[in-house]
Amino acid sequence: MSRAVIAGPRDKLPQCIEVLHELKLIHIVDHHGEDDTFRIGKPLAPAAELSDNLVKLRSIASILAIKAPPKEKERIRIEELRQKVLSLELNISEEDAARKKAEGLLGDLERRIDELRPFASIGLPLEAYRGYESLTVIVGRVARDIPGFEDPMPVAEVFRGPGVVAVFVPKASSEQALALLGQSGLTQVDIPAGEGSPQALLDAAVADRDKWKARLEEIQGRLEKMRERYAAFVVAAEEALEVEVDKAEAPLRFAVSDHSFVIDGWVPSSRLGELGANIADLGVYSEFGDKPKADEDVEPPVLLKNPKPVKPFEMLIHLYSTPNYHELDPSLFMLVAFPVFFGFMIGDAGYGAVFLMFGIIALRWLPKESDFRRLILIIALGGFWAFAFGLFVYGEAFGLVFHLPPGAPPEELSWDMFGLHFPLEALIHKTLNIGEMFYISILFGALHLGTSYAMGFVNEIGHSRKHAVAKIGWFLCLFGIFTILTRTLSWTRVGGWVWNTALAWFPRTLEPWGLGNLLGIGIPLVSVVLIFAAFLGLVESPIAPLEIGGLLANLLSYLRLAGIGIAKATIASTFNTLIFHSFIIEHDALTSVAGFFLLFLAHVVIFLLGGVSAAIQGVRLNYVESFTKFFRGNGTIFRPFGVREPLGV
Amino acid sequence: MPDPMAALSAALTMAGTGIATAWAEKVVGGATVGAMAEKPELFVRGLILMVIPETIILFGVLIAFLLLSHVG
Repeated sequence: MSRAVIAGPRDKLPQCIEVLHELKLIHIVDHHGEDDTFRIGKPLAPAAELSDNLVKLRSIASILAIKAPPKEKERIRIEELRQKVLSLELNISEEDAARKKAEGLLGDLERRIDELRPFASIGLPLEAYRGYESLTVIVGRVARDIPGFEDPMPVAEVFRGPGVVAVFVPKASSEQALALLGQSGLTQVDIPAGEGSPQALLDAAVADRDKWKARLEEIQGRLEKMRERYAAFVVAAEEALEVEVDKAEAPLRFAVSDHSFVIDGWVPSSRLGELGANIADLGVYSEFGDKPKADEDVEPPVLLKNPKPVKPFEMLIHLYSTPNYHELDPSLFMLVAFPVFFGFMIGDAGYGAVFLMFGIIALRWLPKESDFRRLILIIALGGFWAFAFGLFVYGEAFGLVFHLPPGAPPEELSWDMFGLHFPLEALIHKTLNIGEMFYISILFGALHLGTSYAMGFVNEIGHSRKHAVAKIGWFLCLFGIFTILTRTLSWTRVGGWVWNTALAWFPRTLEPWGLGNLLGIGIPLVSVVLIFAAFLGLVESPIAPLEIGGLLANLLSYLRLAGIGIAKATIASTFNTLIFHSFIIEHDALTSVAGFFLLFLAHVVIFLLGGVSAAIQGVRLNYVESFTKFFRGNGTIFRPFGVREPLGV
Repeated sequence: MPDPMAALSAALTMAGTGIATAWAEKVVGGATVGAMAEKPELFVRGLILMVIPETIILFGVLIAFLLLSHVG
């Protein structure tokens, strides 16, 4: 990124905005500091009218309930827009007012009908309920009938309808009557306004309601037709207007004096020439700076540039934090680390193939810009590694090993038993070679953390030498811890190879102070010296040496790779053994069908649980263990003027 | 030398660290969901804090594994 400053006379501002908006190249830095000469600019003249149009259009879109963009877009001419929006608004607001009126009336009528219905079933004219001086009239719905009401209250006169009762009692007895009626679950209703037969009033209200219902449907039909006719226009016009408003309001982000303007921003360095050539003819002055150095106190926006396969991983990076301009983009690092971890944890050719299949489906059928598609693609890449690990390392598909290893429990099943002989031999059996699984996890951890420190060193070297030296110290400390763990686990095949072949040059002399006896393991002298390299961290923070324990915890945290791998394989193998022995092998056809159904359900559960836990743990190892070693983030995404969404240039 | 108490110790280690992890995650998880209701962008920070206690049970697994070598 390079700093770009464009200045010119105020009358050139509209053309300048037009060109910059078209180019989509400059990330504008908003002008804040007001002084006597330069103030924040005022919107261009058409801004008020454009905004007004936009508000009207949005209200039209909301009345017509236009949501999804139509397939065909209309071409919009801004000059004709005002007239069209006004006439459309007039039409629609008339229909909308009619609809609101009809809906209001319908609501009133429904209430009137509800009020009248109990009175219609009693049959007395409405005026009979009012106008008494010595009588109280109680009308209400009752849950149960009140057969013997008149016995304790001979003074009362009762009229009944289905579920309704009207009681006329002298005022003095009204309390007693209410108490009695309360026992039958009375809910009182108000006496509706009006006179005459409630049945006739009810009939009239129902007829009215039906009439208004038909009218409302008619209005809605007309609105529906309008929606079909104008949806394309409304969506296209809204988009076009948003662009115009964006342009008209752009001066709010610039510094403007009485006669001139200054636009400040960032431009990708490789495209400075293009910007310069395009604004040269406008008669404005432009000045471009060099790329900012790492120790400069400026924060240009960040445009992540990655090859296509790495793109989905940018989502995981932004979820944590956008990298700042002066540090390495960890997307590529994550592309390698996350899928390998995922694959190691799942480690099953069958599940891996299913994850891959979902990936292919997402690639072909899901919309390109959706986060869901990116997520599935990330997982599918993990699925590829799971497939590879399952096929070549663990010799396992859907929890069943290809061939039974020596020492396997007698009830365990293998693909061989079903007549499928894979020509591949397993290198590691997850539940029998736990030591191997542990060591490989630690090896992955050491590689992952080591790379993180290396990236941390690169990030810091241009920024602060002190911090860079601390990273070297931590790298050496990690290596020291790793050598002790490798020596301890050198009885495993992978550990043995690393210790005896890859680390054959490493001095074997043990430390002389008896630390190893205390812990029950041998500790090479050089490892101890390397661990003390953590004291280089003192240049960064006085409590750095205490962090050695933290680093050991970080490294052991990678044991979760083995833990989840073994747990998932054990659950799958347990389900297989249980269901095959209890339902399928040597059982009749019907039980077998039920068994296969159960087996399918069990594998769906393992697939989902395994996928979720492996994905979360894989992400966590990156976020918690690794990113904290080198990644600061807090960057700003490059969002050039003219682009509504963050996009690549 | 085979040591039956080692098997019991391994089981206790797993149970203890399992309960400890669950308890810690319950506390963090509850607070995270509460915080996310107000600020959904705290999801990632919450997720990270939420899975940190899992390291406890991993150490449990490691110690249980070391103990198992004494079971015979």
